[in-house]
Order: sequence, then structure tokens, then C-alpha cells
Amino acid sequence: MKGTHLGEFQELALLTILVLGDDAYGVSIKREINKNIKRSISRGALHTALTRLEEKGFLKSRQGEANEERGGRPKRYYEVTNKGKQTLHETREMRDNLWNKIPSIRLELNYAS
Amino acid sequence: MNNSSQPPKFWTRLFQWLCNDTFYEELQGDLEERYVMNAQEKGSRKAKCIYKKEVIKMIRPSVLKKTRTRTRLNNIAMFRNYSIVAFRTLLKNKLFSTINIVGLAISMAVALITIAFVTEINNYDTFHEKGDRIYRVNNDRLYDNRDPGHYATSSILAGQRLRDEFPGIEKVVSVYNSLNGDIISDGQTHSVRGYFVSAEFLEVFTFPLLYGNPETALDEPHSIVITETTAMRIFNRKDVVGEILERNHESFQITGVLKDIPNNSHLKFQALGSLATYQTSERGRRSISDWTNMWSSYVYLLLPEGTTSETAQVWLDQLSVDENNKGPRFNIEMKMESLASIFPGDGKYNQINTVMPKENVRSMIILTLIVVFSACFNYANLSMARSLKRAKEVGVRKVVGARKGQIFTQFIAEAILISILSLGIAYLLFRLIRPEFLELNFYISRTVALDLTTNIYLQFFTFAVAIGILSGMVPAFLMTQFKPVSILKGAVNLGGNRKFGIRKILIGIQFTLSMGFAILVTLAYKQYNFALNFDLGYTTENILNVALQDNDPKLMKNALESVPEVLGASLSSMIPSTGSLNSDIASRLNHGDSINTYSIMVDENYLDNMSHKLLAGENFNTDLVNDQMIVNEQFVEKMGYSSNDEVLGERIFYYNDTFRIVGVVKDFHYGTVYNEIEPFSFVQRTNNFNNVNLRVASNDMVATMSKLSEAWERIDTDHEFNATFFSESIERTYNTLSSSMKTYGMLAIVAISISMLGLLGMAAYAAEARTKELTIRKVLGATVYNLLILLSKNFFVIIVIAAGVAIPLSMQLFKTKVVQDVEYGIEVGFWELASGALLVSFIALITIGTQARKAAKANPANSLRND
Repeated sequence: MKGTHLGEFQELALLTILVLGDDAYGVSIKREINKNIKRSISRGALHTALTRLEEKGFLKSRQGEANEERGGRPKRYYEVTNKGKQTLHETREMRDNLWNKIPSIRLELNYAS
Repeated sequence: MNNSSQPPKFWTRLFQWLCNDTFYEELQGDLEERYVMNAQEKGSRKAKCIYKKEVIKMIRPSVLKKTRTRTRLNNIAMFRNYSIVAFRTLLKNKLFSTINIVGLAISMAVALITIAFVTEINNYDTFHEKGDRIYRVNNDRLYDNRDPGHYATSSILAGQRLRDEFPGIEKVVSVYNSLNGDIISDGQTHSVRGYFVSAEFLEVFTFPLLYGNPETALDEPHSIVITETTAMRIFNRKDVVGEILERNHESFQITGVLKDIPNNSHLKFQALGSLATYQTSERGRRSISDWTNMWSSYVYLLLPEGTTSETAQVWLDQLSVDENNKGPRFNIEMKMESLASIFPGDGKYNQINTVMPKENVRSMIILTLIVVFSACFNYANLSMARSLKRAKEVGVRKVVGARKGQIFTQFIAEAILISILSLGIAYLLFRLIRPEFLELNFYISRTVALDLTTNIYLQFFTFAVAIGILSGMVPAFLMTQFKPVSILKGAVNLGGNRKFGIRKILIGIQFTLSMGFAILVTLAYKQYNFALNFDLGYTTENILNVALQDNDPKLMKNALESVPEVLGASLSSMIPSTGSLNSDIASRLNHGDSINTYSIMVDENYLDNMSHKLLAGENFNTDLVNDQMIVNEQFVEKMGYSSNDEVLGERIFYYNDTFRIVGVVKDFHYGTVYNEIEPFSFVQRTNNFNNVNLRVASNDMVATMSKLSEAWERIDTDHEFNATFFSESIERTYNTLSSSMKTYGMLAIVAISISMLGLLGMAAYAAEARTKELTIRKVLGATVYNLLILLSKNFFVIIVIAAGVAIPLSMQLFKTKVVQDVEYGIEVGFWELASGALLVSFIALITIGTQARKAAKANPANSLRND
């Protein structure tokens, strides 16, 4: 099921949007992601991810208000759809399943060589 | 707000340009918000830096414009619509369509000839597998502190030394251009042209053998290799290895049969003899071991891979210095020339075959471009003039949602359609002109065939598309600039009446070119006539030159003289005033002075026969030995004698012999109009003659010719009787002038007709656009004459300006390009210059006049009734 597959970065974006709630738009999403994971992503990269997610139906967006900081340009707010939420759940479930199947001993960190 | 809160403008604009419009607003908003934040936190410099990086990182498929994917769906339908509209417009404006298509077709026909011609010329010598490593050694002859003479030839000695002493050169090929004349097989005489070549020839050049071993074929003396056509001609079969041919009482064994020489080879031959043959005789050895004997032999080098021509040039320089230090009669500097630049080449003397000068090819391309551009101008001009009619269509298209790019594509596509239609007609024209072009000059037909290959067809098509794009560009651009609102309101003014519109400039350029052509043709024609009727200083009238073709001179002369119509007969080594020259250095015996002197060898009857004027001394005395010479005035002067009488009896060392001067002849033009008169001499000989010069007086030339032919056949049955009138030979000498005149003439007619077509269109348009104005003027009392003036005024100004530019330009061009080497040129007067320009202006005014008259004569009621 290629259409519903969720890439790592896309998952991150979805979760971030959920964290931000009503205030999820380009700048805030970018800032939140930069804060939570230690890597700097460009607005362009984020745009790609958001477009893909919207195409897959995991996100919906609406145009918001403009303010002077933005040179009078409107924001675009993002919201996770039910389908998106469901996919997030599925992804997590699948991951949990795998985690549960691993005997805990194998997860111990081995330092000695 | 201060400046720092604004992100860099250029980058913003860049982003706007590349970003998909749908996302631009939000993305730019986000970028700006980040920028403002960054500017406050990290300072504006850093913020700007980040901003730029962000913009650059925006270059990704999801952000960029996607025009292609967005229009893919309705492309076909749109193109169908475009072509329907294009055809409808074509049919609706029959006059304009005809003008456009005919103009483009004519110019394209010219261009097709050029394309085929240039492709073929550039294809010369491309079949040699090692071609990129083959070079020819050229000689620069330095003598007398004059400009060095550039020769394509080098001595056999140079080739031999290069072969022996410079191991860095992979192969050295020597070619001696001396295997011309008769060969005999089974008592039958056949004439062949060919070279004596060293054994490496077949290894370096790619001339495959059908029979025989290429590695050994030319090793032995008295070996000969012939082409398959020659084999068929002589033996009527191809496998003739081992057969014997006789030449000059020597037997040659055929050791190989070559595949026929491709047409695009600068080396053209029917037979190759082994150069080793020359080593077998004392005289042969001498002739190939002289550093200054560089007149008819060629040296080609094959360099190993990785060796540059500069390296080899250093070796050549070493060798030149070494030989020049031995004190030869003149110094020679050897120069490398790559195989590719031999043909088309620059004007070197003694080319192994006539070589198409690079300059001719270049000027042909330029002239063609001019004609083609002229036709494109027409298209652009007329389309722009008509654009008002199309404006509404464009307006509606724009309102419905057409983008600029789509409108642009539409008009370009329309232009391409027209140019492809024209290509069809041009192709037919091309087939019509091709034979004419090939016959222009016998040399052209020998050089190229203008055969059409797939490659050439492809080039034709590409060319047509390119022309379409080129001619459609300006109108298409103009159309896209229309503002839908103003068009639909009907408030558009395309500047049709502006003082200096682009259209007027285009017409002006066209006229300048047409007039330039017309003037050049007039001048070239004058020069041609001048050269033909040039006073040579002796008589050529009624002189018939008969080629001796190796017959005994005295015998043949006596036989031909027996025909009663022949008033006088003489013998000469060559025909003067037709471009052939022969010279050697003449030096005074027991005196240091020496000068380069031209000469021909003649018998005692020659001077009388040609009515040369003797100024001092007397004609050759037949009773004395053959050591007499008669010189011209230049010789006397340049040699440092004070008077004509002083020179009589002087002894001159010349052609390895000593001569006694017996007479002085008045200066005459032994060369062509390209040569100045220099020291010259008639040398008395009893052999070495190639021509009989007959002075004939006859009322029935045909009968006389057949009598002469009969006389010829009594002596020689192997060769055809070959006689040419002197004046014809001279005419042939100026063949280049006449063929360039014909070329210019043809192009001038093409250029003039194209610009007249354009003018006709523009005049028709101007009259049509101002119909209402004209009728009102007429109603108010303007006469037809007033209206004519009104309509022609603008064009008249353009014509005057064009003439002002064209006259000095073409004058300059004629002086620097056409007659640059002519020593005896025409005087260029007012009428020579003005007649061409006046002719063009006259035709132009008639063209405009007819249109204007039509408009002015029209019944006012017809056009006013509609309002």
C-alpha cells in the first residue's frame, strides 16, 4: 500500500501538527520540528512533505489571516484528517508490535566487543 | 520601517519567478516571517543569509512551476485549434499569405542550395581513416624581400629528408604531380591524369585497393596502380593486375586496381605511379634532389597519435633552416597545414587540384543569410501590420485563460506552418535551380554534385523550423504583450503611425540590402566587361589557338598553315593573358643584378602574328642558335639599363642557360587584370611548344574549322583537334568574375523581389488601414496626386536613407572584396553607383504607387456608405 505509507519525516510532520493544534502553519511547524529533532530543515523540504501528505489525504489545509510581519500574505493552516490520525495509529501499532516481539535481552546495549 | 526588515529584493523576485503561483503567497509569507524573526534575533546580515539559503533550497519539484504538466491535457486540442485558426488566417488574407509564402520560398530555395553546397564542401576529405593525423607541408617562398609566396607544394627532397631524419613522424608521403599524358596499351593511346607517389601513399590515405596488395603495390620502380574506371576504359575489365602499360617508352606493370576515388577528395587521379621510378634514371634523381624544385611535388605527413602539429612544425623549421643555410637560389619556409583545412582552402599557389576558396564559401553563406533574413523581415513586418486584426482573437484567448506562453506558441507555430509550406515550394524551386547553379562555373560541377542525402533533408527541415521560429518571434512577442482589456475596448494603437517603428527599420534594412546588391551587380558587370575588352597591347582578334597535344610542332604547324584561310602561324609554349604564368630569375652575366622575369617560349613568327610592337632591336633570327630573347620595357628598366638600345646584345643567365637579348618589345598585358606588368621576355626555342597560334581570316568559320580539322588528322589520328579562339580563352579566364557576377545577379534579383513583395504588402496595408482617412480627404477635395504623395511620403524617406547607407557600403565592399587584387580596375563614377539604387527606388515607387493609386481612385461612396 504505497498510498498510505508514511515516511519518517512525514510522520514527524504529522505529529508536530498535532502537537501544535490550531497554530500549525509553515513557520510554526518548521520551528517545532527544528526544536524537537536536532536538525535544520528548510521551508522547501517541509513544503514537499506537506504537499505529499495533503495529496495522500492525511492533511487538510485552510487559508488563514495575514499579518504585517508576513508582508501582508495569508498563512496556511494545516490540520490532520481522520485518515491521517488513523494511519499514525497504525504506524505506531505496527512499530509497537515489532517492539513487543523482540526479546528484551537482545535490546541490551553491548559495549564490550 | 527600515531597510533591514525587508528581505533581499532580488531573491524575492527570483523566488517569485520560479515558484508555482499556487503556493507562492503562503511560502513567501512564511519565508518573510522567518526572515523578520531571524533579523530580530540574529541580525539582518545573518537573516539575509538564511533567507537566500532558503530560497535556493526551494528549488525542488514540488515548489517549482509546472507549466508542462498543467497543460498536458488539452495540448492536442489547442494545437488543433491553432492550426485551424492558422489556416483560416492564411485563406482570409490571400495577398499577405502569398507574399509571405512566395518570399520565404524563394529565399529558402537559395538557402537550400547553400546548405547542400556547404555540407558537401565541408565533407571533403572526411573519408580518410587517419585524416585527423594527416598534414600537408606547404612552402613559403621568400625572395627579394617581397611578401612570401604561399605554395601548397614542397620539394621531393624535403619529403625524403623528413622521412630519413625525423623518426618522430610516423609516415611521410611524397606526391609528384607528373603522371599526366598518354599511356599506351596494345597500341592504343589513352590519356590519364595521376601522380607519382611514394610507397606510403596507400597506407596513409584511405584509398582501398580492389586487387593487389596495398603494402607492396608502389614499392618497386615502374609500378602503376589505376582506378577501376580507368581499368574498364583501357582493358574493359577490372582485374588487370600484372598487365603492362607503356608511358614515354618505359614499361609500367600494373600492381593494383583502386576503388574509384570519392568525389569529395582533394586528391583526384586516375593512376598512381611509384615514385621509386624516378630513382632509376640520372635525370629523375636530379629532379627530385633539389631543395628549390618545389613546383609540382607535395609532401604529406602522418603524425603518430599524441604528436601535435606544433611539435612537427619545429622539425620543419629545423629542416628549413638547415637547407636555407646551404644558400639556395631562394629561401623556403615550410609550414604545416591539416588535411581538413586544405579544402576549402585559402589561396595558395600550385594546389594539387583547384581548391574552393574558403572566402567564397563564407561569402555565399553571408549572402544567403541576407536573403533569408530579408524574407523573415517580410513575414515579421506583415504579421505585425496585420496584428491589429488578430488582436481581438488574442484578447478573447487571454480572457478565456490563455497564458502568455500559449499565445507565443500559437504565433510561433503559425510561422512554422508557413515556413514549412514554403519549404515545399522551395524544394521544387531548388530542383529547378540546381542544374543552373552547377553550370554557373564548370568548376562547381566538378567539385560538388548537390546530391540529396537523408542528412541534407533533415537539415532542410530543421532549417525551415528555425526560419519559422525566427520570423515568428517578433510578431509573437508583440501579440503576447497585448492587454486584453484595452484590446477588447478597441483602444489599442500598435504604433502603426509612429515615426520610427520597428517595421520601418526592418524595411529600411531590406532596402539597404537590395540596393547594395543592385549596385554590386552593376559594378561587377562593368568590371567584367572591362576585363574582357581590356587593351592587352597586342592583337587577339581572329587568333585561333590549337593545342599541340605532343605532336611535332613544325610538322603540325606546316600542316595547319597549308589551309588557305590561315594568314599566319606561330608556335608558343603557352597562351598569355589567360592566367598562366611562368617565371624564373634572370641575372645579368658578370653582374650582380637579378630579377624575377616572366616568360613564354615562342618561335620567330610569334611576334608578327600577334602584332607585338618592337621598340628596339629585331625579331628572332632563325639562322642563329637558340639563345635569343626579347624583353619588355619593364625588364629594361628594372634590370637597371638606361635605354632600350643599351640592352641589345646583353647576355642574361636564365632557365639554366645563357641568352642574348636581341630586341625590346612594348609592354603588354601577358597576365590578367589581376597582375601588374612586370619584367617579361620572349624566349626563342625550337621545342617545348604546346600551341600553334593561327591567324585566320574566314567568312565561313565552320568550313575553315573542318578544313583545319582535316589537316590535323593527316598528322595525328589519336587526338581530337582542339582549337579555341583567343578571345574565348580570355573570356574563360574571367570565368570567376562572370560566375560571381551571375551569383550576385541572381541574389540581387531574389533580394530585390523579396523586398518588393514586402513593400507591396506594407503599401497595401497602409492604404487599407487609412481607407477612411483617404476617402474623407478625397471628399474634401484632395486630388489623386495629393493622396499619392501622402501615401508614398513615408516610404520615400526610408528609400532615401537606405540609398544613403547602401551606396558607400557597397562601394567599400566592391573595393575590398570583389576587386581587391585587381591591378587594373574600373573607375567608379556617379552613374555606376546611382543606377542600381535608382533602379530599386524606381521599382519601389511603382509598387507603392499602384497601391496608393488604387486607394486614391476608389469611389469614396463605397467606403463611407458603411458608416
